[in-house]
Amino acid sequence: MSEENSKVSRRSFLRHAGVAGAGVAALPLISNAQNAPPISESEKPYVPDGAQDVRLNINGKNYDLKIEPRVTLLDCLRENLNLTGTKKGCDHGQCGACTIHVNGKRVNSCLSLAIAHQGDAITTIEGLGTTQKPHPMQKAFMEHDAYQCGYCTSGQIMSATALLKEPCGKAAGDVREAMSGNICRCGAYKNILEAIQDVRGV
Amino acid sequence: MDKIQTVKPSREARHDAPLKVTGQAKYTSDFNFPRMAYAVPVCATVGKGKIRAIDSSSARAMKGVLGVYSRENIGALYRPTKEASMDYRIDEARPPFEDDLITYYGQYVAVAVAETFELAQAAAKAVKVSYVSEKPKLGGKLEQEDLKKTDHERGDAAKAFAQAEVKVDHVYVTPTEVHNPIELHATVAHWTSPDKVTLYETSQAIHAQRNVMAQILGIPRENVQVITKFLGSGFGGKLWCWPHSAIAAATARKLNRPVKLVTDRHMAFTNVGHRPRTEQRIQLGADKNGKFKALIHDYASQSSMDDEYKENCGEVSGFLYGVSDVKVTSGVARRNQSVPTAMRGPGAVPGLHALESAVDELAIALNMDPVALRILNDTNDDQMTKKPFSSRHLKECLELGAQKFGWSKRNAKIGSMKDGDEIIGYGVAACTWPARRLDADAAVEFTRDGRVKISCGTHDVGTGMYTVLANIVHEETGIAKDKIDVELGDTNLPKGPIAGGSMATGSVVPAVVEACKKAKKNLLTAATKIQSSPFKGLKDDEIKFEKGLVTGKRGGKMDFASLLKKLNMSSAAGLASVKGNMAAMDKEKFSTKSFGAQFVEIGWNPLLAKLRVRRVVSVIDAGRIINFQPARNQIEGAIVMGVGMGLFEYAVTDARDGFIANANLADYVMPVHADCPEIDVTFLDYPDKEANAYGARGVGEIGLAGIAPAICAAVHHATGVRVRELPVRIEDLLAT
Repeated sequence: MSEENSKVSRRSFLRHAGVAGAGVAALPLISNAQNAPPISESEKPYVPDGAQDVRLNINGKNYDLKIEPRVTLLDCLRENLNLTGTKKGCDHGQCGACTIHVNGKRVNSCLSLAIAHQGDAITTIEGLGTTQKPHPMQKAFMEHDAYQCGYCTSGQIMSATALLKEPCGKAAGDVREAMSGNICRCGAYKNILEAIQDVRGV
Repeated sequence: MDKIQTVKPSREARHDAPLKVTGQAKYTSDFNFPRMAYAVPVCATVGKGKIRAIDSSSARAMKGVLGVYSRENIGALYRPTKEASMDYRIDEARPPFEDDLITYYGQYVAVAVAETFELAQAAAKAVKVSYVSEKPKLGGKLEQEDLKKTDHERGDAAKAFAQAEVKVDHVYVTPTEVHNPIELHATVAHWTSPDKVTLYETSQAIHAQRNVMAQILGIPRENVQVITKFLGSGFGGKLWCWPHSAIAAATARKLNRPVKLVTDRHMAFTNVGHRPRTEQRIQLGADKNGKFKALIHDYASQSSMDDEYKENCGEVSGFLYGVSDVKVTSGVARRNQSVPTAMRGPGAVPGLHALESAVDELAIALNMDPVALRILNDTNDDQMTKKPFSSRHLKECLELGAQKFGWSKRNAKIGSMKDGDEIIGYGVAACTWPARRLDADAAVEFTRDGRVKISCGTHDVGTGMYTVLANIVHEETGIAKDKIDVELGDTNLPKGPIAGGSMATGSVVPAVVEACKKAKKNLLTAATKIQSSPFKGLKDDEIKFEKGLVTGKRGGKMDFASLLKKLNMSSAAGLASVKGNMAAMDKEKFSTKSFGAQFVEIGWNPLLAKLRVRRVVSVIDAGRIINFQPARNQIEGAIVMGVGMGLFEYAVTDARDGFIANANLADYVMPVHADCPEIDVTFLDYPDKEANAYGARGVGEIGLAGIAPAICAAVHHATGVRVRELPVRIEDLLAT
């Protein structure tokens, strides 16, 4: 895995977001990165008292941060690194919307402290595949309409891709059981199951 | 039977699919800004009373805390106009922190704002609030105490019921249910000048949000822009403005910094609405052959102390069946609980639980098949409005559903059907939902870079609006879908409808079609009139637009982008405004309603005390289905929610103070993957031209209607236990 170091400030992550936005605009779609604010060069992220130096490896890239030990991995991703593909649904490990991979295993990022994951290989939905080169699971979700609103989708896909490497039986019931930590309030379970079984070749 | 027309399945990825599967779709709380601060509200810990004092000194002393705001220092927040129309609708009209009064547990009393989310959370926890507590009014039987009304009356229902040969008379209860979209309600408020604000909101009604927020903040309406690009679903809970929006906007104005406020999951139970508890008495009488003779539906729903939300449970009772003598009455019972609001299928969904359960009980009393009883009482006229239905195929729904489900295999004897250790139960219910249209404006633009842009200030809440509109314009123009851009969710766009009431698709599509036709016409007109055009001088019928190419009768072909360049035009645009029918429903000649039939199989394992829904067959008559895959997905998802309504969901209120004891996603049980039954959805294919030009009546809520009563009927069939208060609890069945 190639590693690239990056000092993250609010300024640079917003710039990064702007680039992502431009990529999006080329797609057949939807104006998404709307009203991107002007970015002030003097803008520095706030460093709270008691902040620690934390280095996280996310999607093959190192990020150096100054954050409090109580910052969850979820909030760190979303609020400090602007990796907003990972979602917050309950903040209590009850809904699965925040599921990411740590060293290839799925975890609820809302129940993890960022500082505890230095040295781990963290993968988020942004690192799984891109709109141009989607992961087979992302492709299957598109084909099977395995979402409605799309909010729990990142978590569903991260759980589903981790499941591919887990000892999970072939039956639909096995997948349903193994996916039951990811709530979809829109109730697209039938299509999610079909997408997963499609990728598993079952 | 074989003549029943059904929609053929089709499969195509949504227009917004690539964004949704890669985490790039931007939901409200995904918007981050430089200098953005974080707000965390403080909630009341008494159910009724007054704030005695707020001590925020230790919170303020924390480094990085920007302020703690409450009644004392939030500044002016005004009461908005409150009207029933969609333009100024708000269910909780009291601005946050207006006075010291507490009327429900969890009410916002203060807010902490800090440099980081963690600091704001810590500061909010450090705010000490003391109260003068009073005994709240909670629980008890719901009576029609306030807002009492006769919703509908025809004939003499009391007399007809007294004379009916076979009758049932029961009370049905539906509990407080919570929408719980996985996306938490959030606001990111960004003041771009001292009196101009952009609000990133979790809203199913951005225009109402703008109107109401402008009033609450006391600034001109045109100075408020509301943006909701993607909504993590709402189910009605994100239709109207909730107090957190005002808190975010007010604190952002005070601090002159963008403020992000994401409510937490507990607040999802107390600060952003819920479906209120209802108690409904149904008296249903028939002659000995099963013909309905009388229906009396009296209901009360729980409401908050000050607001006017009433769950309209009798909405469909007057028209679902042919009955000569009907009376429907309603009222609310006020309690010290938070403000209720519309939740998916408001009124009809809890109403149908009562009505369809009563029909099932009457079928048993008559010793009749419940499918046959419903077909016997089918009607072609809406007896409530005295108008014919534009298109009603309930009978076909029941017949086709019965066939697909295998209803003929049913042995009506209780507990007679088994599969291994499970006792099988079959249940059926009819469902319906009104079809209405809202006003919609939309724009379509052919641009000189060779793309088509569709704009409408409406929403995609997971329903597929982005996809529907791209597909419709693709059909109208032949232009490839990857060259079509759809822009929604911004009050700066032409005014679109709310995403609610199953109305958005049917309202927006006609406007987009008309705008598209206008844009094409405007392009062709320019081509025949402008000097620089190769088509100059051609008559209207000598030039046409096909697959993105403009073709002249005397030869010559040019793609529209090149043509626009020749004409020195940046774009050819069309703007359309299509009126809805909400304001003048009385003047319509027909009654436009969707119908459906829900067949449910449950399994009850008495050895393990395990109850599950095994499979559901649903046949829906909703006019034309514009977009098959997302439409089927809507019905399937609604069925899953129906499993929740039938078996799991209820908010548990602490009788002492109104605290919601299960206000989290582990204890308020919602269906997960493992609870999802086998689902088979069929759409009948009878386009309804009275509903709109496209013949579509909408599919957002009807799939939820009828599931809970069908589950209860199936549970009765398996166990002999009639559960009239939802959800069906295991303990209800343990006696069997």
